[in-house]
Amino acid sequence: MNRSALTHFAGIVIVLVILAVLPHFLRYHHQDFLIFLVINILVVSSYRLVTLTGEWSLIHAVMMGVGAYGSAILSKQFNVSFWLSMPLAGVVAGSVAALLCYPLFRMTQFYFLIGSFAAGEAIRLSWIHFIKPFGGTSGVSGIPSPELGNIDFLEPIPYFYLVLIIVTLCLFLLYRVEKSRVGLTLHAVHWKAPLAESVGVNTWNYRSLAFITGSVFVGIAGALKVHYIGTVTPKQFDIGFMVFILIWVIVGGYRTFYGAIIGAIVLSILDEAFREFDELRPAIYGAILVFAILFLPAGLESLPQRLREKFGRSGAKEAG
Amino acid sequence: MVSKLKRSDRRQFLKRAATGAGAVTTASLFPHVAFSANKTLTVGMNIPMTGDYAPWGLPGLYGCEIIANNINAAGGIEIGGETYDINVASYDHGYDTEKAIQGFKKLALEDEAKMVMMLGGSTVAACLPWAMRRKVLTTTLLPSDITPDSEYLIATCESHPLYNVTGVEWMAKTFPDVKTAAIVTNNDAEYGLQSAATYKAAFEVAGIEVVDTNLHGFDVTDFAPIVSSILAKNPDCVCMATSFYVTPIMEQLFHQGYQGKIISCTLDYYQEIIAKTSEEFVNGTIYQFPDFDDPALTEEGVTFPDPAGFDAAFRKDHPNDWSAVAWEYPAILLNWIENAKAAGSVETEDVMAAMKGNQQQFVFGGGNWWGSQLWGLDNALIGRWPVVVIENGRARIQEYGDVAAWLAANKDVLVKHMQELGLRTV
Amino acid sequence: MELLIQSIVNGFIQSGFYALAAVGLVLIFGVMGVVNFAHGELVMVGAYTVWLLHAQYGVPFLPTILIAILLVTAIGALMEQFLFRPMRGDPLGGLICSIGVLFILQVVATVVGGDGPSKQVPPPYEGTLVLWDFLRVPYQRLFAIGVAIAALGLLWYFLTRTRLGWALRAVSQDREAASLQGINSNRISMIAICVGAAMAGLAGALMAPLTNINPHMGHNVIITAFIVTIVGGVGSLSGAVIASVLYALFHTFVTTYFNGTVATISGLLIMVLVLIIRPTGIMGHRVSE
Repeated sequence: MNRSALTHFAGIVIVLVILAVLPHFLRYHHQDFLIFLVINILVVSSYRLVTLTGEWSLIHAVMMGVGAYGSAILSKQFNVSFWLSMPLAGVVAGSVAALLCYPLFRMTQFYFLIGSFAAGEAIRLSWIHFIKPFGGTSGVSGIPSPELGNIDFLEPIPYFYLVLIIVTLCLFLLYRVEKSRVGLTLHAVHWKAPLAESVGVNTWNYRSLAFITGSVFVGIAGALKVHYIGTVTPKQFDIGFMVFILIWVIVGGYRTFYGAIIGAIVLSILDEAFREFDELRPAIYGAILVFAILFLPAGLESLPQRLREKFGRSGAKEAG
Repeated sequence: MVSKLKRSDRRQFLKRAATGAGAVTTASLFPHVAFSANKTLTVGMNIPMTGDYAPWGLPGLYGCEIIANNINAAGGIEIGGETYDINVASYDHGYDTEKAIQGFKKLALEDEAKMVMMLGGSTVAACLPWAMRRKVLTTTLLPSDITPDSEYLIATCESHPLYNVTGVEWMAKTFPDVKTAAIVTNNDAEYGLQSAATYKAAFEVAGIEVVDTNLHGFDVTDFAPIVSSILAKNPDCVCMATSFYVTPIMEQLFHQGYQGKIISCTLDYYQEIIAKTSEEFVNGTIYQFPDFDDPALTEEGVTFPDPAGFDAAFRKDHPNDWSAVAWEYPAILLNWIENAKAAGSVETEDVMAAMKGNQQQFVFGGGNWWGSQLWGLDNALIGRWPVVVIENGRARIQEYGDVAAWLAANKDVLVKHMQELGLRTV
Repeated sequence: MELLIQSIVNGFIQSGFYALAAVGLVLIFGVMGVVNFAHGELVMVGAYTVWLLHAQYGVPFLPTILIAILLVTAIGALMEQFLFRPMRGDPLGGLICSIGVLFILQVVATVVGGDGPSKQVPPPYEGTLVLWDFLRVPYQRLFAIGVAIAALGLLWYFLTRTRLGWALRAVSQDREAASLQGINSNRISMIAICVGAAMAGLAGALMAPLTNINPHMGHNVIITAFIVTIVGGVGSLSGAVIASVLYALFHTFVTTYFNGTVATISGLLIMVLVLIIRPTGIMGHRVSE
């Protein structure tokens, strides 16, 4: 137990050190790629929290947009500093999520999936329709980048470190939530909902809690993204992006905390590697998705275990 | 007949779209560049080559490759005592802001492009902060991208949507019976609304009453109700203000028996529209983008070199891909080269100084810097602009309108309508 | 008044297309318990078939409709055989598989048709029916609504008057009870997806001359189909047809008198409202969980 905690810790430190030096070995536009990748890790991790209760929502990408638009409008039209608007983005996304809880969590499973999709599309179409203050199809541009002393956050490396610090902090919090009593209850709500209810757990409350918390963090991810790009448009958060989140989480493995992150990293790197085949890339994604769900239902994170089993040294070791 | 894409052409369009993902250099396409003793001068194109916006990106790349090929075949160009071959590096951002930033940096830093051409809109806005600080000369087809801080962002060819006033002016003069107009377009602030505001201003100045303005979303699949609702107002003229849906709207106008005037900003792929309706119906449609085999392009004042030759070369390689932008990016490239020659340098500040300091030769003649009244900087080059009408199934220039004169007289009307539609003005 | 009548006609004609697209989705969900996210792409494949064969290679229009139906049906059958069947009992797995298919079909369309502007199919039936001097209906649209009504009629006959149709409805109401009755649910699922896909293929083929054809056209189709399905009642075919007519009229009227985006937003909100107040829809029965 102690030893496993230690290896965990060592592993995390090694990953962080690698990440910290990595941008210096990358070409310029790959540094941007790395920034977006780290932000996407926060997106999938927060999505996993929502799915812990067994409900697969299709509104997560839009909640990211809610945070992004929130921070963009606060900082551009009300001159709120990034350091305040970024956490406020989480608050905005969390508040919208809280409002949506009442209608959405009257549904479960298929109905929840479709309901969340509809609510998300309605929000996204509202950004398009209400040109004031959302800017319509072209969105909001000229979003200021963070200011701190004379650090230049328009450059990728400083912004990368900023993102790395905030995302690491958020991931730590998300991990703590999952391992806490609340997190364990969320698992129970998923796998043994009737039982949980019979011992007095209000499943509605816990579903909402997971949804709101996940939305807070993805809202922050949205703010991080648009303060780097400087522009926010409705297209960035469409169902296409939502599907990518789903794919990352499912291909990576949604049963563990690391699975989703592995999915985002591996698939994003594959995606970048396939840039040459631009228009074929969605098909490659589609094929990977179908194969993963058919042949590797527990995701990439289960791959080492599966290989070990296959090559006979199955051992009594248990993963995770 | 509908345009029949031959298999090989489709392949080519496709292959190009696929390889366009990374930066494609013409060097690989035109081997003599690689063996030439000249230095290489790279210009960048950060444009959509796939997706909905591809028709306003990809044909421009084909056009620039023809221009670069011609220049290189003639031995290159001399700038500041150095002879260069032109290399066009391109990046497909698919009209995605994230990719646009990555593409811009790749072009500017890895390909060392001295100038980057873009389509405009949110993709330009996303690249602007970095591009301006790094002083990368950037061009757009949408001068509405210009802000008070965008010192190195210029619109030297298309001054969308200002030139639309020339079509209205010509129509009012030629068809004085036209008293009412209905505007229909998509409700985006980059193309549709900018254009709608300009048409409204032009109609007001021409004494034509706008009886309906239908601004619809991009989610419309059935244009029957939209067209029914505008025709219910009985307009003398239907105006498509930089609509992305010209074909389905024209089709519905045809089926619903509309017989009045039609004015539009673009009429790309008009042969397809004729195939879906009839030549008789499309004849008489007024718009703003000539075919380059048009005899009126040989008139004095037009500075585009050998338009007919360019048109033939383009249609030989890409018979079905001609769109409004096919000659626009080349015109921007040529203007930049002229100014680099005059400056004797390819560096941004020097070229900008030459642009602002010397009389510019606009592609259709004229050439004044304009824009501070509307967007905060005089970085849009305004000149004469053609009014085009479909005659016997072919696009033909009727006259060259004077955009600058209209603006000088009616700028306030334009600002009023821009503000009414919630658009940014200084 | 004239605009009112024209709008009713516009909306009614559009409803045929909505209904064809939605009944397939309903059928597949009802019988198989799978949300087929790629359903809009099946419609898209139908439209592309007509574009490729009719507009590009000059094959007459009517045979291309048949070919489109057969092709899309075959795709549906393959999806059932290799994806949905192994995923039986895992609705999320089925959904994810269909998303994978969605991407693949979009790319196939891009490869076949190339990128660039939307494809256009010149209408095979030219001309416009003019009634009372103001009401105008292009023959192409009349043809589309006529065929759509005929196809829906056939489907109704199949479901209510044949043994197979009866078995299909039995499975969609209660899979277990149906299997106790000796109904082979795998066979029934295969029939359901084939019929559903055929309807989607037909919808695409009929719409091809009336719409912009591009690899992403399925997106709007699936949104509409979802709204119609939910409002009509998940699993209820008659509900889907009624909801198609109501929603098409609603959408057409809001678009005509107000604004298209507002029409879609209100449609989505109505759907959420239905989900909250009456998750079984206007015609639905409670699906056993």
